[in-house]
Amino acid sequence: MDTIIECRRLTREYRKADTVIRPLDELDLDVPRGDFLALMGPSGSGKTTLLNLIAGIDSPTRGQLLVEGADIGALGRNRLAAWRSRHVGYIFQLYNLVPALTAYENVELPMLLHPMSRRERHERIVAALDRVGIADRKDHFPRQLSGGQEQRVAIARAIVTDPAIIVADEPTGDLDKPAAHAVMTLLQQLNRELGKTIIMVTHDPAATAYAARTLHLDKGRLVEKDSIGGRLEAEEASV
Amino acid sequence: MNALRCMPYVLRQVARHRIRSALTVLGVAIAMFLFTAVQAMNEGVTEATAATANDTTLVVYREDRYCPATSRLPQDYQRRIESVDGVVSVTPMKIVVSNCRTSLDVVTFRGVPKDDFIADRGDEIELIAGSIEDWRRRTDAALVGETLAARRGFRPGMTFDAAGITAYVAGIIRTDDAQDHNVAYTALEFVQLAHRDELGVVTQFNVKVRDASVLERVAEDIDAIFATAQEPTATFSEKAFIGRLADDIIELVGFARWLGLGCLAAALALVANSIVLAVQSRVSEHAVLQTLGFSGRLVSALIIAEGVVLALLGGGLGAAAAVMVAANSRYALSVEGTSIPIVAGPGLLAWGLLVCGGIGVIAGLVPAWQASHRDIAERLRAA
Repeated sequence: MDTIIECRRLTREYRKADTVIRPLDELDLDVPRGDFLALMGPSGSGKTTLLNLIAGIDSPTRGQLLVEGADIGALGRNRLAAWRSRHVGYIFQLYNLVPALTAYENVELPMLLHPMSRRERHERIVAALDRVGIADRKDHFPRQLSGGQEQRVAIARAIVTDPAIIVADEPTGDLDKPAAHAVMTLLQQLNRELGKTIIMVTHDPAATAYAARTLHLDKGRLVEKDSIGGRLEAEEASV
Repeated sequence: MNALRCMPYVLRQVARHRIRSALTVLGVAIAMFLFTAVQAMNEGVTEATAATANDTTLVVYREDRYCPATSRLPQDYQRRIESVDGVVSVTPMKIVVSNCRTSLDVVTFRGVPKDDFIADRGDEIELIAGSIEDWRRRTDAALVGETLAARRGFRPGMTFDAAGITAYVAGIIRTDDAQDHNVAYTALEFVQLAHRDELGVVTQFNVKVRDASVLERVAEDIDAIFATAQEPTATFSEKAFIGRLADDIIELVGFARWLGLGCLAAALALVANSIVLAVQSRVSEHAVLQTLGFSGRLVSALIIAEGVVLALLGGGLGAAAAVMVAANSRYALSVEGTSIPIVAGPGLLAWGLLVCGGIGVIAGLVPAWQASHRDIAERLRAA
């Protein structure tokens, strides 16, 4: 299986006043294509920083990060933006839908960056909404949707451009158990049926049950690999 | 191209934040209404007073006099003026105004020798209603400028009273000369007799010269002839003459330019405030757009475009309203028998929209730069 993400001595540092904060400290990690990886760890362990680096919305201070063959650290801001639009779908804990846009228009947003006919765009948006089971709510605004429905729209927005990688930052963190179960099942289907590589940050041990493997971070380093192996079927999970 | 594809996003933001957009558009519309009105007056001053290479008309007035009531020249000056080299024609004119003060609604009677007037100006005049023959035949007949006719509702066959004169509307005329828009041309003797018994006395002579190059020399020659006469003359090009009589209006309009600039500043502040508030409330939204792959430049362009749309909507409304009001009310600033038109047309509307586009761009620049240069991850963390 080929490797889609390669981290070599990956380091991210911030400076706050006179203090250097290092959420990622010389991390080495390989993610094979089609993997469903859960990242766990205490707050401040570097999970979201790693996720943001993989998603190309942050750049490493040192080390190398190859994602889909692109050296993230070497890309300029505009090229990185273009790369993100093609290769990564991002799912947020709080959905982050644009409140002034309907579900359909939210899913349309990333499509606006890709030249295509209006008809093709429409078909792909409808397909994405269908895929997440929210097509009947396409004309609803986010305020008219439940949390679980909003997250489905956010997932549709993440997959509509058919990216190879989906990163999810605590996708069930704001959902009740049934909604979380539905969202995790959906992510699992995307991984299994569409072959998407999914990197998910979570604090919820139940959510990791849907992942192929779970890695633990602490103080910017991997402390335990493959601690939870195997995939559990959604129906077996006690979310 | 990306920016064009994303225009629906911008338009939806404007349309779906209704109260913010409506208030901003209303404020900009009011500011642009005032700005356009000031510009319309300004353009009128320019049109009435700016000299051009085609100017071949001189006005001979009584020296040291500034109003028609006090400029009294013997009509027989005409023959001596006609003898000056370079003079093509001389039209003696008796002017009576309905209101000596500066006003938006003045009726100015210009008594002229009818045959000379038609021979001299016939080619420039377009009769849009009524009959020239009627005008020639009736002593009390008036050819009324179209702006005056529209403002007062005059139609051929009507009679009207102004400045103590009762005149019959024989025709309505259109010319390119702003000074004709608000006047009623009647027989010279009619005005001389109707107002006071002033036969043989005129207010001024309008002198056509061969070409613009001799304008100054002819003016000097005319004034030299009458320098020692009991009624000495002061001769000016027509545009300079208007500038001299309408000096107060011109100064006022000059001051009003500052008011216009103030209106622009107010519109800029309104749009900028609206955009700054919108950007502040959408910090995480812009971070999300960038996460989806929108470049910083594209996010900037969208923010600026929103400012431009708001400014264009407000500016378009305000400028169009000002142009419509000016066009329909047909006001002119009149003083001492001269007329400064309020010129508002499609050109001014286009100019207003251009200015608004600029305001929208300027208003959006700083918020756009701020929104696109902040760290995406940091904004997402703060959200």
